[in-house]
Amino acid sequence: MKDWRFWIVFAVLTVVQIILCNFLDLSRYAVLSILPVLILMLPLRLGNVPMMLISFALGFAVDFFSTGMLGLTAAALVPVGLARNSLVYALFGDELGPREGELTLTWFGVPKFALATLILCSIYFLVYVVADAAGTYGFWAGALRFLISTALSTPVCLGIARILRPE
Amino acid sequence: MPKGRTVWTGIATAAIFILLEIAALSMLHSSSALQNIWLNRFSHNVMALTWGGVEKVKNYFGLREQNDILAGRNYELFKELQHYKELERTLTAMAKLDSANLPPRFNYIPAEITAMGTNSRHNYIIIDKGSNDGIVPGSAIITPNSVVGMVYAVDKRYSYGLSLMNERVNVSARIGREGIVVPMRWDGGGTNKVVLGDIPLHLDIPAGDTVWTSGKSKVFPPDIPLGVTEGLRVIDGAVGIVDVKLFVDLTSTRYVIVAENPDRETIENLSR
Repeated sequence: MKDWRFWIVFAVLTVVQIILCNFLDLSRYAVLSILPVLILMLPLRLGNVPMMLISFALGFAVDFFSTGMLGLTAAALVPVGLARNSLVYALFGDELGPREGELTLTWFGVPKFALATLILCSIYFLVYVVADAAGTYGFWAGALRFLISTALSTPVCLGIARILRPE
Repeated sequence: MPKGRTVWTGIATAAIFILLEIAALSMLHSSSALQNIWLNRFSHNVMALTWGGVEKVKNYFGLREQNDILAGRNYELFKELQHYKELERTLTAMAKLDSANLPPRFNYIPAEITAMGTNSRHNYIIIDKGSNDGIVPGSAIITPNSVVGMVYAVDKRYSYGLSLMNERVNVSARIGREGIVVPMRWDGGGTNKVVLGDIPLHLDIPAGDTVWTSGKSKVFPPDIPLGVTEGLRVIDGAVGIVDVKLFVDLTSTRYVIVAENPDRETIENLSR
């Protein structure tokens, strides 16, 4: 039952991300994305390969339905999918064994969760900003875009995590 | 999980990751012109790096062969360099010749002094050009600002000449551009000192006048600057001579020009 709820909220949030991509234009230096946390919150039983496939499909869907470029979000999200399991075991490894449940913000605490979200957002925006710029930005303009987008998206992702698995 | 299986899982994960990234980038490549150019450029850089690396490895293993080729080339360049050095010497001599504004009625051949006697009153010069190079006896040996001597005898490759520091050599000289013409000779006073003889006593020859070749000679070209006067001396109350300090110390001369007057025989025949 809980799984069904998760997947429905997951689908709704994907639609929300598509709407954000289409209608939210903050600045050329600010991109808001909740996709890293959607990947982070996926069931822990999924291995690396399913994680990457889901990440690719999710990125492709967002690209397809938004005004962005096809492949851009998918290219940025696949590394997030690959890094998710390693990151989760590195940060929460000791606590995962006895718990045998899913990731929730309240169980694992805000600091570790924030760190995990920050790392995944950084991976996502690193690839996203570089691929989107296509060599047309200077280093500092790209770095500014990366920092603002990561700083903006990380707290939003923390809020989304609570919505995905409220517990 | 067994270790072997873990390795294969890792490889499969990496392969799928690469495939998915390639798929995403391919889509990006075809969906945007900007990204298309960027990815093409990236691809070209990777190709250049890869092929450059392969080429470096090939070059490394081909070093022995390259060394052999370089050694051969080195030898060829050495020979070529010697040839150009020789040419440069000739050109330097010819350039000095041009700057001297020498008249065209003489033929000029650059040469290098290979030996020079300086210890007697009958000194000699040997130069590295001979009859094969067109040198004939009786030619002048000069530099753009001095007279060095005259050719006395020639071999095929070398010539023997009498130095200006030889009492048998007389040069017709002019004091100033329009002054009197008098004979100039070496009196054993030094390697950069000569004297002008037969100076009429009523003439005042100030010190510092430039002395030139007069041109009244079938051997020496005219208007070669030789030196400056140092004042008139009277010998035995009857003969005046003027000391001249040469512009060039004869013993330090290395490159010379042999000036040959092709009309010399004609002039000699006329003056008999």
